[in-house]
Amino acid sequence: MTTIQRTHAKPQSLMAKLVAPIFGKGYGRGLMLVGIGLTLFISVMSILAPFIAPHDPTKIGLGPSNSPPSATFPMGTDQYGRDMLSRIIWGGRFILLVAVTAVAICLVIGLPIGLVSAYVGGHVDRTVALLMDSIYAFPSLVLAIMIISVFGVSIINEALAIAVVYIPSYFRVVRSQVLSIKEMPYVDAAKSAGAGTPSVLLRYIWPNVTASVVVVATVNFADSILTTAGLDFIGLGLNVTLPDWGIDLTYGRMVLPLGIWWTIAFSGGMILLSALGFSLISEGYAERVNPKLR
Amino acid sequence: MIMILLTIVFIVMRVLPGNPVLLRFEKNADPALIASYTHALGLDKPIYMQYFDYLWGLLHGDLGLSMAGEFEPVGPEIMSRFPATLELTVYAFIVAVIVGVLLGALGARKPGVPDKSVKVFGILIYAFPVFFLGMIFQLIFGIWLHILPVSGRLDPGAIPTYLSIDGHSLQTGIYTIDSLLSGNLPEFVDAVRHLILPATALGLVISGIFIRMTRANMMETMRADFVTAARARGLKERTVVYSYALRNALLPIVTIMGLQFSLLLSGAILTETEFSILGVASYLVDRINFRDYTAVQGTVVFIALLISSVSLIVDILYAYLDPRVRI
Repeated sequence: MTTIQRTHAKPQSLMAKLVAPIFGKGYGRGLMLVGIGLTLFISVMSILAPFIAPHDPTKIGLGPSNSPPSATFPMGTDQYGRDMLSRIIWGGRFILLVAVTAVAICLVIGLPIGLVSAYVGGHVDRTVALLMDSIYAFPSLVLAIMIISVFGVSIINEALAIAVVYIPSYFRVVRSQVLSIKEMPYVDAAKSAGAGTPSVLLRYIWPNVTASVVVVATVNFADSILTTAGLDFIGLGLNVTLPDWGIDLTYGRMVLPLGIWWTIAFSGGMILLSALGFSLISEGYAERVNPKLR
Repeated sequence: MIMILLTIVFIVMRVLPGNPVLLRFEKNADPALIASYTHALGLDKPIYMQYFDYLWGLLHGDLGLSMAGEFEPVGPEIMSRFPATLELTVYAFIVAVIVGVLLGALGARKPGVPDKSVKVFGILIYAFPVFFLGMIFQLIFGIWLHILPVSGRLDPGAIPTYLSIDGHSLQTGIYTIDSLLSGNLPEFVDAVRHLILPATALGLVISGIFIRMTRANMMETMRADFVTAARARGLKERTVVYSYALRNALLPIVTIMGLQFSLLLSGAILTETEFSILGVASYLVDRINFRDYTAVQGTVVFIALLISSVSLIVDILYAYLDPRVRI
């Protein structure tokens, strides 16, 4: 009897947790919808880049060098005569890939550490918390620079560097929630009913932590995009010939004194929009789940 | 905490795989040359000895030798560049606090359209890459309107003056202070003009967090009993908001100032690079491009020490501002 109830209840509660808060009426809906729209648009554009880009983004001399936006080149061309529109359409692939990988690493490592550390408590918890706080206090970009300068530039290293920087954020949020939740009477009740540690953690504590994790993860997405662009900007980006918003923005800076605005405006604008999309989702969701923000 | 930070830096830079000397040279470099570099930098000693050397050096203010050129010490170079970074971050911080607190208070006080605009502005500005905002400023104010300089700290060819009395001189390296002390007004104006764009760009991006914090704290404080009491006594709304509520709402903001400072430094790296300001942060970027591994480590250590001192100062400041945390 109990097993039947559980299988029915689970998918429903998951749907209720994820979908209803987004499309249901209430606080933060507008922010979230705009954010999701932006994010979807940019993701679809990046995924479909090979099919929708009008030209080869790396083809040199396609048009005149540094020509302003026109009918043939709606976003102009860069100093090598490459089509900016095609470069913009292609340019999100690496930056978003790095962000997705970084967030995935953070989720896989940061969440379990936070859950277990807070639940176990004692010396273990204090040591881990001190370590995490030290990393958290450090300027994120400096730490990322340090890691990449040691390991070299690659998509996975960039993602790792960003993950190391942001794991403490996940840890702190999860830990503080678990610390208060584990003292609740219903957790004691579950324990006295014979629930084992994994069961208490996953079935009783975890569901109450998910809401804050969504907020942290979406902020993390936005920050990862900004950090990756920052790494590109200081010369720790991927291959300079790749079509990439961060790299285009960095090189567009060289021709800025000539008054050439289109190379930086569109690449920088895309970085801004993708970071904005995730920030809006985060803000809207936080407003919905946290009445204090209204 | 300082020890943990320093140890993390050491582990990442030395213990993890990757030889700094090999990173510097091409693949077919002369083994003898590599060996001489390794020896000069003390990298041939056992790892625990390196760790003690590193800590011992730090106690004496020694941040190691640069790998570029003639093994110049990193410490003095950082100290000569630090005033530029300090100047930029302090002014940016002032911009961030002014914009953040004013807009945050406005949002909390006037619900509806003003509040919504403030909120959207806060989210938008947070999503801005600071160097992109800097480029937009450079383009508009420097290249199109020609009203503000776009790079450096003074006009090309200008030699910074400083206070000098009877052969004793005081040189802070912070041009806006040095020029005032020596009474050189044109230079002061020049330094300020050079600071406006970078400090505003960096300050605005950081202000997003201040807006959010002030707004949330203000809304909570405005519901507090003492605010109702102040209103009941018939005080003007302006007095209630600015001298009663805002003061108390600002307290929690002081606690996060240490973290804000680390965010400011991350931003300063990009801003200094964008505006060609020769500060600590741009030194870091510069040295990375030369693969000057020891200089990178020295700078990172310096930043770690700086962060630790700032969080200590913030703790003391907080105890001073809020008697409740004193024990």
